[in-house]
Amino acid sequence: MSGGQHAMGVDGSYPLLIALWLLPLGGAILCWAFGPQLKTRAGWVACAAMAASLFLTALSWGAGTQAAGGLLGAHQALLSWIPGSFDFGLLLDPLSLLWALIITGVGFLIHFYSMGYMDGDRAYARFFAYMNFFVFAMLTLVLSDNFVGLLIGWGLVGLASYFLIGFWFDRPSAVAAARKAFVINVVGDVAIMFAIFAIVATVHSTAFGDAFAATGAYGPGLLFAICVGLFVGAAAKSAQIPLHTWLPDAMEGPTPVSALIHAATMVTAGVYLIARCAPLWDASPSAQLLAGSIGGLTAIVGAILGCVQWDIKRILAYSTMSQIGYMIMGVGVGAYAGGVAHFFTHAFFKAQLFLAAGLIIHALANEQDVRRMGGLRTKMPFAFWAILTGVLSICGIPFFSGFFSKDAVIYGALAHGHPWLYAVGIVTAGLTAYYMFRLLFVTFLGSYRGDVDPVELGMRGAALPPAPAAGGHAHAHAPAWIMNAPVGILILPTVAIGAALMAGGEGSPWARYFAPQFAAQTLPPAPISEIATSLIVLLAVAAGFAVAWQRYAAKNAQANAVVRLRDESLRMPALLTNLFYFDAVIDLLFVRTSQLFGTLVARVFDPHVIDGAVRELAEIARSTGTLVRSLETGLLRAYALILAFGAACFIVYYALAAGGLR
Amino acid sequence: MLVLASILLPFVAGGLLFALPRDERNVSRTAGTVVSVAAFFLVLMAGGQEWSFRWLARPFVAAFHFGATPVSFWLALLTALCTACAIATVKLPRTRGFVALMLLLEGSMLGLFLARDLLLFAFFWDVMLIPVFFGLTAWSSRPATAWRYLIYNFSAGLLLLLATAAFGILYGTTDVIGRSGVHVAGGWAPWIFAGFAIAFLVKTPVWPLHTWMPPTYADLPAPMVAVVAAAQSKAGLYGLIAIALALLPAYVQQYSAALIVLGAISLVYGATSALVQHDAKRIVAYSSLSHLGLIAIAIAVGNQLALQGAIVYLVAHGLFSAALFILVGYIEEREGTRSLVRLGGMGRTNPRLAGAFCIACLAALGLPGLAGFVGELIMLTGVYQAGHVWAAIVGLIAVVLASAYFLRLYQGIMNGPEVSDLPVRADLTWLEGLAVAPLLVALLLVGVQPHAILTAIGMVR
Amino acid sequence: MPVDIGNYIALSTVMFFIGVGGVLLRRNPLIMLMSIELMFNAANLLFMAFARAWLANAGQVFAFLVITVAAAEAAIGLAIVVSTFRDEKNVDVDEIRLMRG
Repeated sequence: MSGGQHAMGVDGSYPLLIALWLLPLGGAILCWAFGPQLKTRAGWVACAAMAASLFLTALSWGAGTQAAGGLLGAHQALLSWIPGSFDFGLLLDPLSLLWALIITGVGFLIHFYSMGYMDGDRAYARFFAYMNFFVFAMLTLVLSDNFVGLLIGWGLVGLASYFLIGFWFDRPSAVAAARKAFVINVVGDVAIMFAIFAIVATVHSTAFGDAFAATGAYGPGLLFAICVGLFVGAAAKSAQIPLHTWLPDAMEGPTPVSALIHAATMVTAGVYLIARCAPLWDASPSAQLLAGSIGGLTAIVGAILGCVQWDIKRILAYSTMSQIGYMIMGVGVGAYAGGVAHFFTHAFFKAQLFLAAGLIIHALANEQDVRRMGGLRTKMPFAFWAILTGVLSICGIPFFSGFFSKDAVIYGALAHGHPWLYAVGIVTAGLTAYYMFRLLFVTFLGSYRGDVDPVELGMRGAALPPAPAAGGHAHAHAPAWIMNAPVGILILPTVAIGAALMAGGEGSPWARYFAPQFAAQTLPPAPISEIATSLIVLLAVAAGFAVAWQRYAAKNAQANAVVRLRDESLRMPALLTNLFYFDAVIDLLFVRTSQLFGTLVARVFDPHVIDGAVRELAEIARSTGTLVRSLETGLLRAYALILAFGAACFIVYYALAAGGLR
Repeated sequence: MLVLASILLPFVAGGLLFALPRDERNVSRTAGTVVSVAAFFLVLMAGGQEWSFRWLARPFVAAFHFGATPVSFWLALLTALCTACAIATVKLPRTRGFVALMLLLEGSMLGLFLARDLLLFAFFWDVMLIPVFFGLTAWSSRPATAWRYLIYNFSAGLLLLLATAAFGILYGTTDVIGRSGVHVAGGWAPWIFAGFAIAFLVKTPVWPLHTWMPPTYADLPAPMVAVVAAAQSKAGLYGLIAIALALLPAYVQQYSAALIVLGAISLVYGATSALVQHDAKRIVAYSSLSHLGLIAIAIAVGNQLALQGAIVYLVAHGLFSAALFILVGYIEEREGTRSLVRLGGMGRTNPRLAGAFCIACLAALGLPGLAGFVGELIMLTGVYQAGHVWAAIVGLIAVVLASAYFLRLYQGIMNGPEVSDLPVRADLTWLEGLAVAPLLVALLLVGVQPHAILTAIGMVR
Repeated sequence: MPVDIGNYIALSTVMFFIGVGGVLLRRNPLIMLMSIELMFNAANLLFMAFARAWLANAGQVFAFLVITVAAAEAAIGLAIVVSTFRDEKNVDVDEIRLMRG
């Protein structure tokens, strides 16, 4: 550990970390610089970089989990800006190892899938360059051993997200969405910067080890301010209220991007940040209350908004927002292992859902509105089964992966003394079941509605051309297995990884893995047991399922699908179609206000007030000049006379002065 | 000797260019680039060497004393680099005269940064206004801008000269830049400080003395404004560090609250103005107002970290504003306009131009990993550490605004559907790419490892 | 025998005021130039007289300087007169008001 006084990591040097960190960057540079030469081989280059990075990460398992003398994991020092206070290094401990595995593992699958999904795009190589760059940035974020390195990764993933949301940059909607995502993320960046200022001002170092060793040095007010700064950063990146509005718009990007960045990895960076800064959070109960409450609020608001969306990717986006709300709630209240577990399972099942949705979108030539789908179960059985497993997992059906992690979060809220958040978690579970099964039923049951006039389905705006028949191919595609294989592989963890790792409470492999990472907590016994909690959640899920079944899957609902969907579209309350007016309020409060201020100063204050004052000065100079000018008659002899008079005055003065002296 | 050569070379070469029999674009452009590159290496090789010739003994001692201090070394390198990059692709009418003016500008600014004598500093301060004035009168259609530039900056120069003279009489010598332990106090000192400070604030510029700057930047031809924004605007801030802070530290401390408030107003004022402009050059101009206000805050705070950050940011701002103006110049050459209302969708046919412009914009909005971020982070950490929490928060707000207006600038030009009635022209040529590449590479290098520049603080403390 | 310094001063004063009168009262620029010349020479006379009286050479040096300046001044003055005459066909200084502000 260079500089700082509190070392992290058992190994002073673990160069393999540098390799696994920089490999994706190398892939990105290759794809970017030699894109025209590589053509479709760019996809293989990117995948190879990912595979190599994944391999090295897996190889580092032992180094990442080692523990000796109170130190945990492996460390590698990098360069230093100002030795002692701005040092950089890489740290692989159980927490960052978990994230690195998900980033490279799920990332590899999604890269592979993209080779099929992006096939034929004119900027194929550029896409893989951005994707690889994203992975590099995300690894920077999770592997950094200090706040500034984390912030650099934080900013760079924002950039990668910006590039990929605006990937099809001739669409104005994509361009606007990209800018919105970036600016909101910068709000988060500067909040983290503020926290860094406070930390550096107190401990004169940015290293995690130094910052966490001295939680007592901050004082409760400053500690709360630091946590709020970090939390605003987490909220912006992880789409927590009120900084969530960019995430649904971010669905403008290609679907693999939504799967990798806006579901599995980047948006969970906030969870990572809070888990990483657990010592700070543990020391500040008011910050825990704030983070937990915002997480719970986001979970339920995201779920409500997910119920009223029609765009398949937006439904999934609000569901992501809601699920991250769960995670933030979990790590926020102090149930770190639970919140992180939900990140872990969510990465699989949400990637699975997005990639399967991508199969549909791809087959229907970019149709994303579920009202124009329907009846796809027979035409796309693979996609149906894939989405079904994802839905079962996200709803927390027993023994699917989501069951273990979600219940851990909900129970964790109660165990840490937040009954309200517990209730919110249960209600949200019911809502989740409703909107996920709604998605499943509307998309796959009934009959295909791609040829129905959009107006009849209640879609507003100009009539769209009918979507091609299901399964139709607009252009030649890469072999189907390239896209199907990753989805198939993801089914396995979606279904089983929770049961494999998290079953068994304190004795589970999961609990043992994280035991050295997070400080042991002694909690008073909760009024409701874990088993009872699971049953209550299951009841809520059953209720949500029943409503969805009654509305979309029952016999008569399927028969009158077109009329029902139109009625639902047209009768939606304005509060929900306007998404609780978050966008409008933010726009009015910040965007319009600063634009108005800018117009005022640039068009009014500058030219009229400041330049007005300057013009007044010029006017004084000019009038003085006019006055003096009247003396200049142009008559030569008048000048001579004035000269002579002046000379005479001098002579008289000196003569008198001389007389006075004498 | 090398120091003297680096300053004289551009002057001599600029004069010789007028001896060319005809207005040969390629010859003057090549000659100008070669001379600037040579000046760059001369400054580099000269390092900390000094050259001195004493010429005035009464009423105070003054000398032709040149030599780089650790801070001015980087600014001199920046000047030479930006000039070389800007000259390399000049495509204006009457190229010979323009390149000659650029070289005079370079020479005068090298003189300013390398001067170790206050009187010499004041002399070059006025000399460097002349090429810009002629650039404005001869290559733009609005003479009023030229006069406004000249009147503002000459008034500043006059104050500087008066303050210098007063300083010389009070202290006995003006050969003091970069000498440690020179402090002035007493009855005249506040007035001397006021003269210096106002001159430097006009040049930077800082609100409310800034209204000469947006029209100047908008009307000057792109290659020249690249150098003016990158290097000339640093003259004021360099003066604040190397003269006001070094010679009159007590007064900087006494008036630091006022300076911080002015800087903070510039910061927000420039950022919000940039948010609503349509002219690409004016957006960059107002962004400069905002960024330089931030540096002014850091200098006014004056602790170790803030100054280290300020020096990194001086260099970073020079690099990215030069790149931005040069690239806006390329865009204007291609499409015949720089209005965001007209432009759009250039990225599809000009991917290299879009890439370069993107990096420059990202560096300017403070993307982590590029030079702007390092400066902002360290500066604001220092500002916070000194207890000016609100100033640090205002700085952070400006960072958010910067991301909004720079993305608006970038996307407005490069993204969106292509505008059909604008001419579709070729992407960056190799030469144009080569001209901006050094700036972008330097942004990356400084962003990843700013250590060399950070050590520059040795001179101030 | 040495002449008393008072005589030189008196002569110089008379010459100077003749010059002043000439500049103020005559309207012909040539005559005005000659009058100016007369004033210069009045000053020169004083320089020489005092240089002789105090045995200091500086006065003589100054006299040479004044003669040089006077020659230059006359050359420029005449040039202005000639060019004005070409334009205006008139050399009455009261009629020429090119310098009016």
